[in-house]
Amino acid sequence: MDNTILWSLRLGYSSKQANLIEKKGIKSFLEASFDASYDQSPPNFLEKIPKSSIDIKALVAKKRNANLEERKITNVEQDAIGEEMQIWWLEKMTNNQYPLREKMTCFWHNHFVASNRVVKVFYWIYQHNSMLRENAFGNYRTLTKAILKTNAIVEYLDNNRNINSKLNENLSRELLELFTLGYGNYTENDIKNGAKGLAGLRIGEENAAYVSKFEVNESFEYLGKKGNLKVDEMVDAIFDHPKIPFLITEKILKWFIYDNPPKELVDYYGKYFKTVDFEIKPLLIKIFTEEFPKKTAGSKIKDPMVFLLQVFDEVAIKPDGTLINKLLLQQGMSLYNQVNVKGWEGGRAWVNTQTLLQRNTIVDVVCTSKNFVKRRMNLEEKKLLENIKNDTLKVNIKWLKNSNAKSIINDFASRLLFDTDEKLKKDLDAILKYDFDPNSDGSDFSVIRLYNSILKLPEFQLI
Amino acid sequence: MNRRNFLSLTGTLTGGTLLLPNFLHSFSKQNTIINPNQCLVFLQLNGGNDGLNTYIPFENELYYKARPTIALSKSEIIAGNNGMAFHPSLIDFAKIQQNGDLTIVQNVGYQNPVRSHFRSQEIWQTAPQRQEYLTSGWLGRFLDIHCKGHTPTAGINLDAYDNFAFLGKEPNSLTINDPRRFSSIESIESKRIVSTNPQLDFVRKVANSISEGTLEIQKAIANTKDNDFLYPKSELSGRLKWISKLIKGNLNSNVYYTSMNGFDTHEGQRGTHSTKLLEVNNAVGAFYNDLKEAKLLENVTLVVFSEFGRRVAENGGGTDHGTAAPMFIIGGNNKGKVIGNNPNLVDLDEGDLKYEIDFRSVYASLLNTKMNFDATKIGIINKPLNGIF
Repeated sequence: MDNTILWSLRLGYSSKQANLIEKKGIKSFLEASFDASYDQSPPNFLEKIPKSSIDIKALVAKKRNANLEERKITNVEQDAIGEEMQIWWLEKMTNNQYPLREKMTCFWHNHFVASNRVVKVFYWIYQHNSMLRENAFGNYRTLTKAILKTNAIVEYLDNNRNINSKLNENLSRELLELFTLGYGNYTENDIKNGAKGLAGLRIGEENAAYVSKFEVNESFEYLGKKGNLKVDEMVDAIFDHPKIPFLITEKILKWFIYDNPPKELVDYYGKYFKTVDFEIKPLLIKIFTEEFPKKTAGSKIKDPMVFLLQVFDEVAIKPDGTLINKLLLQQGMSLYNQVNVKGWEGGRAWVNTQTLLQRNTIVDVVCTSKNFVKRRMNLEEKKLLENIKNDTLKVNIKWLKNSNAKSIINDFASRLLFDTDEKLKKDLDAILKYDFDPNSDGSDFSVIRLYNSILKLPEFQLI
Repeated sequence: MNRRNFLSLTGTLTGGTLLLPNFLHSFSKQNTIINPNQCLVFLQLNGGNDGLNTYIPFENELYYKARPTIALSKSEIIAGNNGMAFHPSLIDFAKIQQNGDLTIVQNVGYQNPVRSHFRSQEIWQTAPQRQEYLTSGWLGRFLDIHCKGHTPTAGINLDAYDNFAFLGKEPNSLTINDPRRFSSIESIESKRIVSTNPQLDFVRKVANSISEGTLEIQKAIANTKDNDFLYPKSELSGRLKWISKLIKGNLNSNVYYTSMNGFDTHEGQRGTHSTKLLEVNNAVGAFYNDLKEAKLLENVTLVVFSEFGRRVAENGGGTDHGTAAPMFIIGGNNKGKVIGNNPNLVDLDEGDLKYEIDFRSVYASLLNTKMNFDATKIGIINKPLNGIF
């Protein structure tokens, strides 16, 4: 695979940025990605959702007092807004010339998880998401402090229930286990004491804040520090711990490059991360510029977002967001909607018999739109098929029209397959034979058959 | 003719027990038709199911003291016996117990309990000896040895996500969210298995499993086409219904596994827990009746468990992560007993129950009795727990 295409897929969602990476070089491309402006205008759904605590409570009360029929209507309305929010973000991912900020926002959203399976207030999810976007390339310590004061996180991890008379350890535990140090680098006592420090940090008007009557005000020990620590001091104590750089460094390597990052690399980049005081930009520059020239293709299984957006970009169709959104759900990558606080597992967890079958069905639909037994397809797949058949989506596969079989195969391979060994080349030669005539009738059909087979190869699932 | 019909036929012709091997003797007396293909079905309740509000020590005043707002009162609980009773949502569990088909193992857990969901689930799914991090699941290791070669349908995971418990050297299990999808092949070509790239190798094997597993599942579904038992409407019911269909269709998998989310009741426990348990009860009740009607209950052992129980004292409206909890075993010709002491609410470990029975000894018993397999081969050295079967 062409290295700039590989990195375009890794730093974005398709091969669209390959030319820019080629032209600018990886370092300037990264800097341009950091500097690129991004849309911060308030989205349309913002007008439809309650924002103040009074309005939020009113909506809750409305639902509580509603009869079954009314509640159904409210639920449908709420689901529609939830979907609109997902599509709003999806469009940011697909439309941005420099998608790295969105990719990094998505990384953080899978790190500081606040899933809408629990957090039912859309405004809090929106605030959480906006904070991640603004701080996507900021400072890890600063972001950790800020995110702990979002209503979304406080709600998601039950800290509203964490009060002096009844401590609740959920946020305290996940702060250490999932957000910062990782399992094994703290004691149960740190968790218990941490809950004291976080007690009384409650949902507020715009942000979470301490409410004094629910606080615990006593000295306790936390990761070797002693005092009546509150959330910011606790985070400072965490960031003084020698293990702090490694969990996030490993997760960044996993998110962008390696399903199984070599330990030496985690160690190497982690140590550097500490020297730049947990600033994200220099870390990303160092990782990406140093990994770029290495031969690393095929070290990561594509996540559903990359798979879907790449396929649709490849065949030049722009399906509606609703459809992509539903397919993402079925592939296990629904936005703001992780199953649990650990977030998407990634790597091999993306591919199982069920999801791989669907990936291939999608490819078949966009490539051939024929020979389908519709009874066996689900609603979204049928809809995709209908759209293509009705020509509302015009599939357009790019191939070298005035060329020969060998060049066409090579072109596809460099665009789509991380690696093509001799055996695979032979298999592909057998599909598009050497005497293929690009100007003959039905040449399109032969090329599409080849293309369809390539997109269903296990090799296509990797970058 | 399949094995089941064969046995039923010989039974009829010879007046019963004469031609049956010894180990089937006890079954035949119960007027059942036996398929020697035993299988295990696991139902994992994700999030840490609150054992104390599931199977309730209703005669222990400490229970009410520790849980002033969420305790189930003596007038709410059902089927109280010997100090323990069921949550009111678990009517079918109580009935199954009455029929003698439910064994409850109390205070199941492990030493140095971990209160993190993921790590504790991992521990249950990998069954390590000293809490070391293993890269294979206990069922994966079992199937690696038991299957003698790649057998795509030896384990069936009815879920949207893969299951660590099944991870072994060979992909001997399939993850299926909707078995109907498996009739849609169009098989994926992937004959070339070996690659030095482990991720590529993995994708290739999954692709292979699809094409090989498809045929088997298709056959099983076809076998049970007009044999639908009525289940209530819920995700879990749907999954148990599929498991039953595949069992009835002679898929002959050794292990089925499914899970249900929503048991992490830090707050609002009373309502949430009641709803969740009702969904479990209705699904399990239907599954039980279905298999019983099909005379297959003796061959199918359903095991219901969670990664941990919850703290004895409530936190206001809910409970935090705890430790030991009961395991429920239904069918498989179990003895229908309650094993172990009632929860000790005095001698606690930082507010949590101390475990008394190691979950690995339950695993060992399941493998030993149902699969005729020595669990030490997969690194489970705990003695099989006596008294379940």
